[in-house]
Amino acid sequence: MAKLSLDSLTRSYGDLTVVNSVSLAVPHGEFLVLLGPSGCGKTTTLRMIAGFVEPSSGSIHIGDQNVTAKPPWKRNCGLVFQNYALFPHMTVAENVAFGLEMRQVEKSEMGKRVNDALRMVRLDHLGHRYPRQMSGGQQQRVALARALAIQPDVLLLDEPLSNLDAKLREEVRIEIRELQRKLGLTTILVTHDQEEALTVADRLVVMQDGHVRQIGTKRDLYERPADRFIASFIGRSCFNEGVITRSGRFETEDGLVFKVLDTGASGPASLALRPERFVIGDQAHSMDNHFTGTVEFVSYLGSSIDAHVRLGSSTKMVVQMANRDGFIEPSEGDALTIGWAQSAGLTYPRNQGSISQGGQVS
Amino acid sequence: MVGQGVQSLSMTPSSAQTQRGLTASLLIGPATVFVAVSLLVPMAILFRYSLNAFVPGKFMVDALTLDNYIKFFTDPYYSSVLLRTVRVAMICTVVCFVLGFPLAYVLARSQSRFKNLLVILVVLPLFVGNAVRAAGWMVSLGNKGAFNQLMIGFGWIDQPIEIMYTEAAVLIGIIAVNLPYMVLTLQGVLEGIARSTEEAAFSLGATPLVMARRILWPLAMPGILAGSILTFILAMNAYATPALLGGPKFQMMGTLVYGQFSQQNNWPFGGAISFILMTATLVLTSLSQMLIARRYHVS
Repeated sequence: MAKLSLDSLTRSYGDLTVVNSVSLAVPHGEFLVLLGPSGCGKTTTLRMIAGFVEPSSGSIHIGDQNVTAKPPWKRNCGLVFQNYALFPHMTVAENVAFGLEMRQVEKSEMGKRVNDALRMVRLDHLGHRYPRQMSGGQQQRVALARALAIQPDVLLLDEPLSNLDAKLREEVRIEIRELQRKLGLTTILVTHDQEEALTVADRLVVMQDGHVRQIGTKRDLYERPADRFIASFIGRSCFNEGVITRSGRFETEDGLVFKVLDTGASGPASLALRPERFVIGDQAHSMDNHFTGTVEFVSYLGSSIDAHVRLGSSTKMVVQMANRDGFIEPSEGDALTIGWAQSAGLTYPRNQGSISQGGQVS
Repeated sequence: MVGQGVQSLSMTPSSAQTQRGLTASLLIGPATVFVAVSLLVPMAILFRYSLNAFVPGKFMVDALTLDNYIKFFTDPYYSSVLLRTVRVAMICTVVCFVLGFPLAYVLARSQSRFKNLLVILVVLPLFVGNAVRAAGWMVSLGNKGAFNQLMIGFGWIDQPIEIMYTEAAVLIGIIAVNLPYMVLTLQGVLEGIARSTEEAAFSLGATPLVMARRILWPLAMPGILAGSILTFILAMNAYATPALLGGPKFQMMGTLVYGQFSQQNNWPFGGAISFILMTATLVLTSLSQMLIARRYHVS
């Protein structure tokens, strides 16, 4: 039985539907990430789970309880906000104790539980401090301790790392992940940062325009993006436009024919290829597809090197090459043979009006 | 101006500091001089007057006596005016807070595109001068005023309700003037309290009432204090409203001062009353400030 389930959850403001029939089942102990660009409805979904936004229709269950009509203070959700939202007039210990006071935990037990929660985030020595006397990373850990102290049924994290600098973000991210594993907490994290999403998530939910686009593990999303949007949003893809002429055959606008993964679809489509799936040089000849093109642009990224290779008047590929020992990168203007497997070519039927330049990477 | 930044770099630290000090005094100078000349000097003169004697027929006579102050505190009539003033000011402050806080909260949390319009509506009463507004109240609250005519017309009352020239009329008048000050001060402070702070409390199990008491109230305390002090000072020193709505028999400290200066020509006693009013206001506000600051650790 799912710990948290959303059933056709919808929220509209007038004519605008910000969350459109979202259904999810989150098993006990899962770390689920709601991922999407700003305005995709992920935050509204989280706020409906927390009880701050009333759904227009649909229902929310925590455990076997229908909480759709319950106010936030009766839901037992631990919440961590982007801006920490600590109570500035209370010490760190008082902040953590607040939720326990609301639950009328006995004084004798309270001290221990506050201490336990603070020890989990390694701040038990700073209980007497006020939030303003702490760094952003410490404040966010206090907020986490405060949310954990109430032993929530579901832990909800609303872009908790966005206000931290890169190094701290990494640190707190790992801390959240380890605590979540240790405590077996069902957790929902909302973020627009795909790297953050990919490092912590058991499963991801990609949202766009209020709809769930795809639910799956990192591997599912990366290997088999459900649509063009996800192919561009999760990791990098280079896109070329053309037509699926028959099963497994894609013809570009400039007349090149590629073997692609057969999806059963036909007609105008976009071809998405991951830049690291290309092989170059002699090895390329043994691949399902191999073409020789001109290197137009090389960009040195450190661990890897990107080469933009033009295959035809409108067809361009972005090829990522590992920067191995003794690797000599191609120069601009060089001829380069590239090859790729049929199964690497993912096609997406093209919608009207979303035609883009060949070789576009996003 | 363009070269100034470069120039100050090459200067020795001490001369740079001198220049900064000079700039600072240039910035605060004019206002300070204006306040000193227009407020402190007249007050010093007034205080000196309050120590003079008043001889009927000869007006003010040079002296150095506390008689005016003694007269105020020994005559029950005058002390009762002071008490009434303090009482009216306190009632106004409490009512302004009770009415103003919910309004300020709604304004602070409003995300409506009409928010600016709402704020203007709150400030609108201040667009009308005190005297004009009081005249309006006189027209509507009098025995033959719109309010009583309406009530009698509907048959809800037989006799007009006496509102004009009572303390109630003065209270209504002062509250109407002071409410915007309270609302605006509170709104500013409440807007500084992130909505997520409240939501955090809710998610931890606090009901709205508990949240208001444990989170909103202490965090808004600096604003509650500032708004209350502002309202209290304004009410203590009200003149036009008590003069017009309270009538000649209803005296507050403001009207008393005016009477002594312009009707009795008793400048020394008028000066003494002014200083008693000022001291009472100062003492009461600093006392409440201190008490609340200690209780809620605000500064």
